[in-house]
Amino acid sequence: MSSVKTVLASVRIGWYRDFGWTNPLTGFLMKTIAPIASVLSASIVYWLGSSAAGTFDPSHVSYILVGAALYTHVAAYSWVPSQAISEGKWSYVFPQVFISPKSSTPFLVGRSLASFVTSALTSLISLAFAYYVAASIFKSSIPFIMTPLSMSLLLGALVANVPATLGLGILLAAYTIFASKFEWALPTYVAGLLMVFCEALFPVSVLPWPLSAFGNVLPFTQFIRAAREAVVYGSLSAYSYYVAYCLLGGLLFLAVSLWAYRWAERQGRKKGIIDRKVV
Amino acid sequence: MKLESRLWLRALYARMWVRVMSVFNEPLWIAVNIGFPFFSSVGLGLLYASTGLRSFVGFAILGGIMISFWGNVLWSMASQFYWDKQVGLFEVYLTSPAPMTAILVGMSLGGVVNTVPSAVLVAVAGWLFFAPPLSPSWLAVGLTFALTLASLYAMGMMLSSLYLAYGREAESINEALHEPVSLLSGVYFPSIGNFSPFPFSVQVFASLIPLTIGMDALRRALFFSQGLSSIYLHLIALSVMGGALLLLASKTMKLLEQKGRREGTISVRLR
Repeated sequence: MSSVKTVLASVRIGWYRDFGWTNPLTGFLMKTIAPIASVLSASIVYWLGSSAAGTFDPSHVSYILVGAALYTHVAAYSWVPSQAISEGKWSYVFPQVFISPKSSTPFLVGRSLASFVTSALTSLISLAFAYYVAASIFKSSIPFIMTPLSMSLLLGALVANVPATLGLGILLAAYTIFASKFEWALPTYVAGLLMVFCEALFPVSVLPWPLSAFGNVLPFTQFIRAAREAVVYGSLSAYSYYVAYCLLGGLLFLAVSLWAYRWAERQGRKKGIIDRKVV
Repeated sequence: MKLESRLWLRALYARMWVRVMSVFNEPLWIAVNIGFPFFSSVGLGLLYASTGLRSFVGFAILGGIMISFWGNVLWSMASQFYWDKQVGLFEVYLTSPAPMTAILVGMSLGGVVNTVPSAVLVAVAGWLFFAPPLSPSWLAVGLTFALTLASLYAMGMMLSSLYLAYGREAESINEALHEPVSLLSGVYFPSIGNFSPFPFSVQVFASLIPLTIGMDALRRALFFSQGLSSIYLHLIALSVMGGALLLLASKTMKLLEQKGRREGTISVRLR
């Protein structure tokens, strides 16, 4: 029960960190602009290439809109635990968390959940906005299933992906305990790898083997596939398969990441690097 | 007069030297800088290739090269004085006899030198991976590239002055600006002209950003063998923008410095 309280307090800290510098509406708008632009960029690249090649297919625009919106969503909250540690070392928050009676894990989970809620909302808004803009600039009807059921399934996929993303975040956090510089550059790599390997913009089969096989087993790939089944293709059986794969794979990944984080934390204590300043 | 110009050049050299050494003494910086441009080039290059049109893959690689510089302008120029203020360096600049314009120009030149290795790596990796077809007019490419960087960094200088007025929001503003400017500037696709997906009004607005004009001219010169006679209007526009932005940067810096001195906020840490 007290762990739940710690997680909730950390959620509040996360939101305060993200929006405390301004009013929530401005902060939220600032966080929505970038994903909208990113989703539109990817769909315009497809539109330009396919129009010139004479292969334009409106349903493929939906494929790209969903993939681009969701990989940025995963990228946005997967690096939060790592950021919480590096910022926390710099501002002395992390050593305080560390010497408090609770472990730092609930703190990191709370920060991630705060960011999950924010980025889920910004991604869904950017998806809807980009859909209307794309339909208007491509002068084409883009297929998109928008029913209460499809939206619930999309939300289900977002929730099912939480363990996997949390696993990635905690794994990066384990690395950040040791890092004293450049760990802030990790998000660019995480976002880039997700873009290429998680079927965000093109099928992983485009990649050469064994990269395609690697991309194919990632829970994030299954998450994006499940979301596409929910709002583009509409196959409930395929959706269930992808969601179950994403959830089970994610839980396994999370377990491994938690083990790695505990090990890193113990090493951090032994070597006295928990409060080593980030430069 | 001679003493002043000597001081200006020495301040420029000193600021550039510090910036260049910070990267070349720590090669890991190159790995840090290359992440985003490399993966976005590869990702969007594969997207172009998956449409069946390999001839446009070069747009993605060129975009990756130029996004390295745009990222540098945003994170290491525009918000640099914000970081400097945080660590107490900004007040040292102001109390020293070093002219602020020299520090800004030194920072820009250092930024260009520092970004070149990651831009070259993106170009080489992109060329090896995709072998995009090129049809370059090298003189036009070189001149456009130089003028684009000059006006882009002049914009960075102006933003760095404006960022003095901001606190913790600088980071959020950078995050919010990076992608929309890339989208409007057509870093990965033409955002102005016949192939643009945007309506005319948006194209006019996008043309106010130096990167838009530079990207359009670079694509024409690099992939469609258009020489100086075809892109001279782009070059004139870039020169005018560069000059105007430099002037604006100097004015806004003076204004905000005076405001900061009056209100006593120059040495205030914001976290």
